[in-house]
Amino acid sequence: MSLDPVLVMKGQDPMPNTCPPASNGDSKASWEDSKEIHENTGATKKPKSTNLYTCDVEVDMKCHFMKGPVRRARKVEGGIFFPKPENAVTIAVSSRVLFRTEKEQIVFEQQGIEEYLRYQVEHENEPFAPGPAFPFVKALETVNTRLRELYPESEELFDIVLVTYNHAHVGVRLINTINYHNLFIERFCMTGGTSPIGYLKAWHTNLYLSADTEKVQEALAEGIAAATMFMSDKQIEVSETQLRVAFDGDAVLFSDESERIFKAHGLDKFFEHERENENTLLDHGPLKSFLELLGKLQKKFYAKGHRLDCPIRTYLVTARSAASSGIRALKTLRAWGLETDEALFLAGAPKGPMLEKIRPHIYFDDQMFHVEGAAEMGAIAAHVPYGIAQKYPHKKSTNTSK
Amino acid sequence: MEDNKNCTGPLMIALQYNDLFDLLSISTSTNTDALPKGRAFTFIKAVQTVNERLVDQNKTESLLFEVILIAKECSEEIKMKIVESVKHYGLEIGKFYFCKKEELINTLQSNKVKLFISTDRDDVCKALHTGIPAALLYDQADHHVLNQLKVILSGEVIGFSEDSLDSLSDFGFSETQIETFKAAKICMKEFAVLIGQMRRRFGHENSPLCTCVLTTWGSRNICATAIKTLREWGLDVDEVYCLAGAPCSPILAVVKPHILWDSGLHNMTDSSAPC
Repeated sequence: MSLDPVLVMKGQDPMPNTCPPASNGDSKASWEDSKEIHENTGATKKPKSTNLYTCDVEVDMKCHFMKGPVRRARKVEGGIFFPKPENAVTIAVSSRVLFRTEKEQIVFEQQGIEEYLRYQVEHENEPFAPGPAFPFVKALETVNTRLRELYPESEELFDIVLVTYNHAHVGVRLINTINYHNLFIERFCMTGGTSPIGYLKAWHTNLYLSADTEKVQEALAEGIAAATMFMSDKQIEVSETQLRVAFDGDAVLFSDESERIFKAHGLDKFFEHERENENTLLDHGPLKSFLELLGKLQKKFYAKGHRLDCPIRTYLVTARSAASSGIRALKTLRAWGLETDEALFLAGAPKGPMLEKIRPHIYFDDQMFHVEGAAEMGAIAAHVPYGIAQKYPHKKSTNTSK
Repeated sequence: MEDNKNCTGPLMIALQYNDLFDLLSISTSTNTDALPKGRAFTFIKAVQTVNERLVDQNKTESLLFEVILIAKECSEEIKMKIVESVKHYGLEIGKFYFCKKEELINTLQSNKVKLFISTDRDDVCKALHTGIPAALLYDQADHHVLNQLKVILSGEVIGFSEDSLDSLSDFGFSETQIETFKAAKICMKEFAVLIGQMRRRFGHENSPLCTCVLTTWGSRNICATAIKTLREWGLDVDEVYCLAGAPCSPILAVVKPHILWDSGLHNMTDSSAPC
């Protein structure tokens, strides 16, 4: 991600960028019902209009629309624009984590693709319900709003791209759903069955969230931070004003080298190893770069005097213990020039209750055991299928005081 | 899928020989029997695969691709070389037209060409302005043949309604660009209908023909309108890409289309890719 201020109107832009217009009036008739529902929940709504070029777009709290659906390269006066992927923090999400699509999945698995597509088209005007990544995406938009207020011409924003190997038949339903939930997603790739991994690179993806572990592993192998998300029945409320991201330490921010020692030789060896290597930096893990990007955005807020009410907050939630093995983790972070706002050393205690207190929009952990534990408490957790823990999953009976 | 009554096949595609063969590397080519393969080579092969599959399914299929090759201003020697090379590579070329530069448009019109493809953007524009459906031949970087013909249609051209078109000038597009856009809008429908019929001969999986919608600067709603409009015209697209201003070369490099109908509304800096 480039930190240089973007030159406005460089004159070399290959194409005009656009401002999303008010919702295309095409879908007006079929949305009357959902429009009503939406209004009752009190959310501000873009007015539906049959004229694409309406200028009377209601200014909603979060954004300002420039007149018309097309805007010139990066001229921002009162407008929203979509940043160049390499300059923004690009988050690619799949349709199955952004929305709840369990029913449709079942149709696909039990009745095959033709029936699945027919079903989707039939239910085209029924929006999907929010999925596990939804609160996270909403929080990203909140941060973007604040960033735009402070740095109206900067491209250092979150850019959300929907990358799914869903078929274009589902496209209309997905777009209808995005409209329904008032999300700021204008970029998507529906690859109709081919692997989305190639597209991740084309979009300069910084984080990929999907429901498919295999795809996530492929992304990790390509050096892209990625995690699998699952829908849980219980969902605790999360903040609407502050993005909270929590990370496990080993095999997430750091490499799994210490994890390997623990798995192979047990706890004592682990302690010994950590003590001996206290001043050796740990190697980096798959999510380190994402923490780094969050840190850069945080500094932009601090620079404008918003340290105390920064809309991004990061947490380290590790089974390491503060008195011993945790020191190496902290030293490593410091050497990397990174920090988390809070560091929680659990010394092996279960993570669930702590996560319930933090209420992160997303918590990254390499062990399914912890992800499931978090889900039981209603916290939103994402599994990073990286490192030794995938081969030797955690056994519940073991005392894992690290 | 018995819509033979709708079919007005064959689907005639015209291309120029300098796209089919790489004239620039003739001097360095070791093969003296035939002209070196050019950018349209993988396209022709993919078209032939589609035809083979169509005939497999229905021996009396009339909605097949037919390719005509146009060569402007050629010497007799080159004319011979062209015909020989086509034979050499086993390419199914329906007709050859050797003509003068000015005769290109007439040739296309008199043959009721359903699609003219070229790597030359100016040729494409000129053709569109005279009502001939024309699209860009995307330069496939490698010559490894995909077993699928990929066609991209512009989400903006289909998604923008007629009445909205005139306001495009408010946003800095030139008159010529807007005229090209309008021309493309008229031409694209017929082609989309035919491709839709062809596409329906195959199922969702393992199809030799793949259709996509690409929206480069329009909003998601333009994209949704494009998908729905195409559906009305009988074409269910397979893939959808909405870029909202992101540079399209990286995405196209992954999609690897053969035919690219774009909206024509942008400043082209890179001549090998439209965006």
